[in-house]
Amino acid sequence: MVNYHVVLDLARRVNNAPHGAMVTVPLDAGSEPGLQRIIADWCDHTGNELVRIEDMLATVRRGRSDPLGGLAAGQLPGSRVWIYTNFDCNLACDYCCVRSSPQTPRRALDSGQIRQLAAEAVEAGVGELVLTGGEPFLLPDIAELVEICTDALPTTLLTNGMLFKGRRLESLRRMNRDRLALQISLDSVTPDLHDRHRGRGSWDRALAGVRIAIAEGFRVRIAATLMPEHVETLAQFHDFLDTLGIASEDHLIRPLAHQGVADHGIVLTVESLIPEVTVTADGIYWHPVSAVDDDHLVTRDIFPLASAISQVRSTFRQQRAHAAAAAQWFPCA
Amino acid sequence: MSKPLIVGSVAYTPNVVTIWEGMRDYFGDGQAEMDFVLFSNYGRQVDALLDQTIDLAWNTNLAWVRTVLQTRGECRAIAMRDTDTVFQTVIVARAGAGADGLESIRGKRLALGSKDSAQAAILPLHYLKREGVDVDDVDLIRINSDIGKHGDTGRSELDALSAVLDDRADFAALGINTWNGIGREELMPGAFEAVWESPTYSHCNFTALPGLSDDRVAPWLDALFAMDWDNPAHQPILEMEGLRTWVPPKLDGYTSLFEAVDEQGISPRW
Ligand code: SF4
Repeated sequence: MVNYHVVLDLARRVNNAPHGAMVTVPLDAGSEPGLQRIIADWCDHTGNELVRIEDMLATVRRGRSDPLGGLAAGQLPGSRVWIYTNFDCNLACDYCCVRSSPQTPRRALDSGQIRQLAAEAVEAGVGELVLTGGEPFLLPDIAELVEICTDALPTTLLTNGMLFKGRRLESLRRMNRDRLALQISLDSVTPDLHDRHRGRGSWDRALAGVRIAIAEGFRVRIAATLMPEHVETLAQFHDFLDTLGIASEDHLIRPLAHQGVADHGIVLTVESLIPEVTVTADGIYWHPVSAVDDDHLVTRDIFPLASAISQVRSTFRQQRAHAAAAAQWFPCA
Repeated sequence: MSKPLIVGSVAYTPNVVTIWEGMRDYFGDGQAEMDFVLFSNYGRQVDALLDQTIDLAWNTNLAWVRTVLQTRGECRAIAMRDTDTVFQTVIVARAGAGADGLESIRGKRLALGSKDSAQAAILPLHYLKREGVDVDDVDLIRINSDIGKHGDTGRSELDALSAVLDDRADFAALGINTWNGIGREELMPGAFEAVWESPTYSHCNFTALPGLSDDRVAPWLDALFAMDWDNPAHQPILEMEGLRTWVPPKLDGYTSLFEAVDEQGISPRW
């Protein structure tokens, strides 16, 4: 005999719960699976959402909601797409989340793949492309790759800013200033902290790169990786960026992630990270900060891009339904 | 610009905050601007209306009757939900109990909801009397689990259903909203069946005192009646508040409750 007390108990608790809150009731061992069906029907009938029935517990959300509904427009997976052009880098930062260094194999996407990605991104309703590496300016055809992207969508190019000389400066000059923003890494107001993690002399060269990019008429965002020792100097850092002429909305400070070669930092898992669809030569990853982490691999198939985006969205939708409050937003741009 | 109308409402669920914040946003800051005050019970809310601390009270039917009695009929109802015009009480028993109609309750155990619930306590007794069933011949089991909120939480009605399931009662008195909320006979096959449904009567309304001038009420009412189920911005609030459309009050729907309050000697205050 089905234990109907469970349904009455559920009704009592859901009636008393705020919209969106979760209610859990224990099931009665003898009354499955009839009871499960009744609970599902009751949720349907009353406009509440059955989140799961598991381990003899039924979890119901008061009201019905799109699990992705609470996200800001820019947080909807696929609203922008990250593309790792390559993984090799002229630097070997000790916290690099994708283990880049001069020794890292290139693992680059070629111009044909970038062209197809850009076209499919437009088709899929993506609003922005973000190119990153490694160091994209190591690629001899970076100007062409950027042009393919800026012709399709507004684009951001992440760089350490240290290579704006000779033919690479010429590459920079060929890029579309109206459709491209540069995001350059700079961690501190003075060289010590930046150089400690990224290599001696890197702060001077990065700062020179920022000045060149601004002088060349590009919108420049500064991305800083926040170290615990950095926290007190944050206000000073913002002042410094102001003096460089970086608009305050382009000061991007993010915590250190425990990914790649970083030996500490916040631990990010697929369950705790709002995804950002990330394309690499090795496949689609959950988020750019974890683009070499096998646990974060979504699929080896880069194309069609739209199905990768919908796979990320549907996994994320399920996760959000299961653990509404767990996700945290880890900004990379 | 006139001052905002202050509406009182009883916080019987946390969602009341969401509902009234939605209403306040809907009315905006124009001619019909409003704000709200939440009370923990209807007694305090009616006192606040009489003291003119609030301009309008979102009253249950019992709170309306009590306001009428305390103001000697000077107050007025200005609007209600469509669902308030067709409220009903339902008496249910275990499925297959073979009961039918109020007469079958004679000599049996009837679980009533909170004593200040019109639908689950006051009106069931009134209808029993009207059908000629002396309440002294019925074993009344009173479940006063949400006193002060006039049965709004539905808690006492669900407790009455539990009493029927546990064979602590033969019948339970419910509001039609609770009966619909558990899916009537259909969702829990073999659990309950309705043995009697009351005539329709009126439930909640917005109550005002005569001191509230028409030029303050009229724009507010115009905006209220303009809320539209088909407008995606309005629908979530309407859905949470349990209506499709706001309508003018149906005052003859309160006759049965006035009679019940009189018969049962229910105090006009609290
Ligand atoms: S953090 Fe950036 S600059 Fe440093 S090694 Fe990694 S990719 Fe290169």
